[in-house]
Amino acid sequence: MRGNLRRRLGVVAAIGAATTLALTACAGNAAPADEAPELELSDEPVTLSFTWWGNDTRHAITEELIAAFEEEHPNITIEPQYTDWAGYWDKLSTSVAAGDIPDIIQMDEKQLSTYAANGVLMDLGGLSSVLSTGDYPAAVLGTGALDGTQYGVPVGINSYTIIANRDLLDQYGVDLPDDETWTWDDFVDTAAEVAEASGGAIAGTQSWGFEDGGLNNWLRQRDSALYTTDGEVAATEEDLESWWEFLLEATKAGATPAPSATIERESGGLAESFTATNQSAFGPWWSNQVQALRDASGQDLVALRVPSTDGASDGWPYYKPSMFWSASSKTEHPAEVATFLDYLANSEDAADLLLAERGVPANERIRDYITPKLDDVNQTVVGFLDDLAPEVGDAPPATPPGGGAIEAIIDQHTQKVLFGELTPDQAATSFLAELQQALDDAAV
Amino acid sequence: MSALGELRRIKGSTPPKQRNQNRAAFLFLLPWFLGLALVTIGPMAASLGLSFTRYNLLSPPRFNGIDNFVRMLEDERLHTSLGVTFQYVFISVPLQLGLALLLAVALDRGLRGLSFYRSAFYLPSLLGASVAIAMLWRQIFGVDGLVNTVLAWFGIEGQGWISNPDTALGTLMVLNVWTFGSPMVIFLAGLRQIPAMYYEAAAVDGASRRQQFWRITMPLLTPIIFFNLILQLIGAFQSFTQAFIVSGGTGGPVDSTLFYTLYLYQRGFANLDMGYASAMAWLLLVIIAAFTAINFWASKYWVFYDDQD
Amino acid sequence: MTKTDPAVDLAPLTESVVTGLPPEQVRDDRRKNAFRKPVSSLIRHAILIAAALLMLYPVIWMVVSSVRPNDVIFREPGIIFDSFEISNYVDGWNALSYPFNTYLLNSALVVLGSIVGNLVSCSMAAYAFARLDFTGKRFWFAIMLLSIMLPIHVIIVPQYVLFSQLGWVNTFLPLIVPKLLATDAFFIFLMVQFIRGIPRELDEAARIDGAGHPRIFLQIILPLMVPALATVTIFTFIWTWNDFFSQLIYLTKPALYTVPLALNAFQDAQSATDFGEMFAMSVVSLIPIFLIFLFGQRFLIKGIATTGIK
Repeated sequence: MRGNLRRRLGVVAAIGAATTLALTACAGNAAPADEAPELELSDEPVTLSFTWWGNDTRHAITEELIAAFEEEHPNITIEPQYTDWAGYWDKLSTSVAAGDIPDIIQMDEKQLSTYAANGVLMDLGGLSSVLSTGDYPAAVLGTGALDGTQYGVPVGINSYTIIANRDLLDQYGVDLPDDETWTWDDFVDTAAEVAEASGGAIAGTQSWGFEDGGLNNWLRQRDSALYTTDGEVAATEEDLESWWEFLLEATKAGATPAPSATIERESGGLAESFTATNQSAFGPWWSNQVQALRDASGQDLVALRVPSTDGASDGWPYYKPSMFWSASSKTEHPAEVATFLDYLANSEDAADLLLAERGVPANERIRDYITPKLDDVNQTVVGFLDDLAPEVGDAPPATPPGGGAIEAIIDQHTQKVLFGELTPDQAATSFLAELQQALDDAAV
Repeated sequence: MSALGELRRIKGSTPPKQRNQNRAAFLFLLPWFLGLALVTIGPMAASLGLSFTRYNLLSPPRFNGIDNFVRMLEDERLHTSLGVTFQYVFISVPLQLGLALLLAVALDRGLRGLSFYRSAFYLPSLLGASVAIAMLWRQIFGVDGLVNTVLAWFGIEGQGWISNPDTALGTLMVLNVWTFGSPMVIFLAGLRQIPAMYYEAAAVDGASRRQQFWRITMPLLTPIIFFNLILQLIGAFQSFTQAFIVSGGTGGPVDSTLFYTLYLYQRGFANLDMGYASAMAWLLLVIIAAFTAINFWASKYWVFYDDQD
Repeated sequence: MTKTDPAVDLAPLTESVVTGLPPEQVRDDRRKNAFRKPVSSLIRHAILIAAALLMLYPVIWMVVSSVRPNDVIFREPGIIFDSFEISNYVDGWNALSYPFNTYLLNSALVVLGSIVGNLVSCSMAAYAFARLDFTGKRFWFAIMLLSIMLPIHVIIVPQYVLFSQLGWVNTFLPLIVPKLLATDAFFIFLMVQFIRGIPRELDEAARIDGAGHPRIFLQIILPLMVPALATVTIFTFIWTWNDFFSQLIYLTKPALYTVPLALNAFQDAQSATDFGEMFAMSVVSLIPIFLIFLFGQRFLIKGIATTGIK
């Protein structure tokens, strides 16, 4: 009968594990922590876990910052947990499933609502006695709020930009265009001109259509948007069709590289991009990537405004928060979490270490404080963002839960359009269906 | 198969029918039983349970019956990924095993510097799963890669092999074949396991080398060939890392390298749809189990075990 | 096609198999082949060297890139040693929170535990499946195979919950303990196949001498399956050394990071990656596996044929 006993043991273990899973998952969704207007710091030693994504430079400066904080608060220990972007989300979701949520979380705009809607993130409003957000412009701060609840403090601000390589433009005798008046057609013409002048040695511009920044700008120029404020899809088939149509036109005009070259570089990330390897005169990027691109390319790169349909840049450019600081709704030490968040958000000592590595600070006081200390490249980025200020409109409505899937959906459809497997209007229909499906799936 | 008859003759009489050895077997299997009960069965059962739920990892799972399985019927990307995976399994596994066997036999003995060659052929397998492989692969099959450079010497204009939907899967098959070192090592060990007495007996009977190879080496290697076949089959069906790294996690271009497990991973972690991913995993289990069962059945006809009577 | 092309003609194959024969016969062969052999082996070397170079091109590219300045790696393709930037190694070694030897040591600990676990537990289970007759053998064997057919991505979340309940997250236990419990069932199957290749007469002889199963296992079977044990060691080493996903999930403290996690910390697709340093450390991390293989293969090819069992 030993066989039976063994089998029974196996079943018991299986049930045990399954129940554990269900139980922890339940625990992970308990009622939100009570608001604690008066936060009391503990005298006992407290350990907080702090997780972020990034590369080795970021890991190094963040660990320095932790050391500086711990010196000021000897009873608080911050336990760092870091990985790259891709591994970060696998790890975070797995640990949430087991109820081990890190106390302080570096959060992305596209994931914020998903995590907030599932009760993972803390309402930071309850920390306001310690965590001050007074130096943030209301519009920027609002990007971290959903339905009036503050789930994240914006870290840096970013803007979509066309990066031009001035050395390459000089080399092929093409003038730097005036980015305050240029249209999409000007952009494609100039790019095609450079490509032709180089005899095919370099591309005019990198292709676009692999993430939502470019699409957001395109939609905003057409007085549309990706989402409504209610979290529905707002973009129409016509909007999307025109976007891919224009990409095809640019490809036909010889402004962008061949699709296969584009796709190949795309999977290589920033380091292998045309811009970073000085193989294209223009490329669409986020402003906080200028520094990394400059380092990789070694040439004179400058950030330009995104072209427009009518040559006027007003109301549609926007500041995107590069990331947020969020906290776990399950933390046992809200006061210490608030103290650390306040340090990250408002401390000049922290800013001295962070500089603009996570984007130009969204906190205006800190931005003014830090700007003179930045290197030339980052100063030009701050200058670019400042110049843009009068033209900037409201931030686009927040990504609804499940919207994190958009990047993969865009990438997949752009590839199909470039390789001629879908026409722009077919792609538009399919794109909207898949995005809607992702949102429906995530509905809680 | 007179040589096999010969073998049986050498081996002498067959061992007597053994009595039931439950007690000894239980002791020898104890660690494995513990692992099964404590580490393996629980998570497997949990994933089976989750396949009948909507589970986004962040909130508790909710039962939704067979919804996930119904959705699988209509999921075009899932069908694409099955197609990609089957192509990959049926082309790259035989190629890789054939090459591994050929080189294992060639590198077994009889030449100087064999340990160097073995290491050289094995080295790529060490790299097979490293993050650096993506860059290395673009250096070879990229628009400006080695393959196109060599083609250019012959005046042939190349293309972006990795980024062309028609050839991208092919480059991953090459990548798999390139790491043939793993099965090769197992073959090498298998070759050394063949008792020399069989060759001696055959030589006494005047068998030529070729006859010895086909009548002794090959039959006695069949258990190892069979093992490698099963191992590579399961591995290829579950193939994930290489496509993940080379395509940057997308399975692109245009889903041409969207392996089944890569799609499963995207659904489970990127779309936070672990219920669906679990359902997909159990479909994969059924597929793999079916192929494995067919192979076990077929093995009766071509695998020779020395302990058979 | 020449007669010596290994891709076409089986003659060299059979030859190399047969040259593994006992010494007296090899001497015999030498005499017969005195004329043909130098030419044939020269051609075989040429072919093997060409093939080795082809196989090694990506590895060589990585080594070359590891001594290039970061900004040159992708701008100037090719594999010529045009610069020698040893600083990638120095900086890479110290680029992360801890010097790289911390990660090497962590990986070594995990690998060592896994190897011991797999060797002991899998060989025991394999002995039972290959040599013992017990109730439900086929059923348990099928269960064993089924347990390796589910992709890790759906197993890892429930498993994480389990280990998290035990308080094992952020220790090496979730990575090592399963190996002690023979969950790498591939290796059981591998060793079953090897044990079945060992003639049963040997067990029988031992049994007649009064040996029980533990003694037969330890004194007859284990010594005869050294190649299989070497294979398991090499494979466990490499799989564990390269395993990224489970180490990513279970280890969150940088002090516990292993080599794959450390290498991954160099890169981030959204920002700049120091490829020179990453390649340099990749080369460093390859050295232990390469050495293990170089020395391990001695045991790999030490089979019955060479241990003189007749």
